Amino acid sequence: MTDIRFYLILFAAAGLFSLLPLGLGDYHLHVMIVSLYYLMMASSWNLLAGYTGQVSFAHAAFAGIGAYTSGILAVKFGVNPWAGVIIGTAAASLLGLGVGVLCLRMGGIYLSLTTLGFSEILRIVITNEYDITRGTMGLQVPGLVEEYSKAAYFYIMLGAAMITLIVLYKLIYSNKGLCFRAVQNDERAAASLGVDVVKVRVLAFTVSSALAGLAGGLYGHYLHLITPEIPSLDQQFLVLSMTVIGGMGSFLGPVIGAFSLEILSEYIRAYGEYHVLVFGLIALVVARFAPNGLMGLAASRLPGGPAPAVTVPSTGKS
Amino acid sequence: MALLEGLRLSKRFGGVTALSEVSFTVEEGTIVGLIGPNGAGKTTLFNLVAGALKPDSGRVVFRGEDITGLSPNIVCRHGIARTFQVTRPFGTMTCLENVGVGVINSPRSESDGNWRATALHYLETVGVEDLAFTEARHLNVVQKKKLEIARALATRPKILMLDEVLGGLNSQEIVQAVDFIRRLRDELHLTVFWIEHVMGAIMKAAEKVIVLDQGQHLMEGTPEQVVADSRVIHAYLGE
Repeated sequence: MTDIRFYLILFAAAGLFSLLPLGLGDYHLHVMIVSLYYLMMASSWNLLAGYTGQVSFAHAAFAGIGAYTSGILAVKFGVNPWAGVIIGTAAASLLGLGVGVLCLRMGGIYLSLTTLGFSEILRIVITNEYDITRGTMGLQVPGLVEEYSKAAYFYIMLGAAMITLIVLYKLIYSNKGLCFRAVQNDERAAASLGVDVVKVRVLAFTVSSALAGLAGGLYGHYLHLITPEIPSLDQQFLVLSMTVIGGMGSFLGPVIGAFSLEILSEYIRAYGEYHVLVFGLIALVVARFAPNGLMGLAASRLPGGPAPAVTVPSTGKS
Repeated sequence: MALLEGLRLSKRFGGVTALSEVSFTVEEGTIVGLIGPNGAGKTTLFNLVAGALKPDSGRVVFRGEDITGLSPNIVCRHGIARTFQVTRPFGTMTCLENVGVGVINSPRSESDGNWRATALHYLETVGVEDLAFTEARHLNVVQKKKLEIARALATRPKILMLDEVLGGLNSQEIVQAVDFIRRLRDELHLTVFWIEHVMGAIMKAAEKVIVLDQGQHLMEGTPEQVVADSRVIHAYLGE
């Protein structure tokens, strides 16, 4: 993808999207806002998992850091929510840097377990520090705009989603991005070619955490209520499912995954907790029959697309 | 003058001594073969030089500088490139991108931001330029080995360490490959340090051959001296 083509597609899509508030009611706009939040979350998680092979379970936790930092600053210290969001993003990136450095020497499952632990610790602290966070009651926070309107928040999230995608694009399609993918494929071979594997992993962790912090901060102020639901593992697995189903390691995959799963979840909301089960089943089916996600499926079906990918080694079964 | 020097290198894995006080020198501009039966410690020696493993004792000196225990990416930046016995391509990346990783991380890289042209040049050097836009996982073994050499060359090394690059080639291809490596050495002013099981090739290509056996430096000399040495024959064939 050339730069010009990317920006053309991005701005064309954003232009079409910006027309939505004209035609959609509050409910549908709300679904779009939530989808944009998940787009930011899934795309930035994809940078970690899809491009450097670090499966972190702390991504929702970093969104929580962004949300609570900004929320607490606004409620306790009267900080302007916009400034709060920026500070929240910075806090998430600093913590991301810390966790990234901590997990340096860990690969695979150890990194996943450590981030899982980090995520749970954060949730427990937030739930129990009632005086500061209001625990499971949730923290009521001011909004980002004077006069509440879904359309305003829709444009804010759209702008933030564009920033997220541009940052990710710049990174992934730069020389650094080439090193990211080399590290994901084979750390030892990458190191033998002069790639500083440690630096690559920490950079990916920091950028990805910062973007999660930004998403979480904005989302919290949109909801006006920040609860431990934002940094929960449920949310983490939702983001994971979106990325995997959309297509991990492809730029558009998480975007497709975020919209399709969020919209789908609105339809199956009636089944309560069972909608998580449905996601699980979809993820299973996709993992079995389309290991590269919807994007992989599209690429292999489209005429002129790349040849069908065979990432799953044949097991010898017919 | 010795370009690369190993001084009394030892490496143990648990109770197994993989290398025991092995010293060697590789002179600038030469092709040095490293041979020995399976398990002699050849690849371990390569890993110690390349920084993939740290020696328990001993030193690695490159161009007069102590590089013992540096991480692989730093060793690479010093000018040491290696290939792997079992190839390690970046499977989901195209061949061009595979080589590009070497280009963009080399401090000696001649490309000014345009790594693609440079990467293509190295693919041409090894003769797989028609696969530039193919993902590396679709390559056959021989193509993967060529890709690894291109990748290693792209880091602009002073010394190229080859770990069994001739496996899977027929005798005709081996002759061509030997010519190719000699040509590389001459044209790129390289030094080549080469582990190989294909004896005929190493005998034809190398100016000096180092023989390892059971983690020990058994002997070294010209190919003629090595094949005539009773200790070498003993190590390979037994009593």
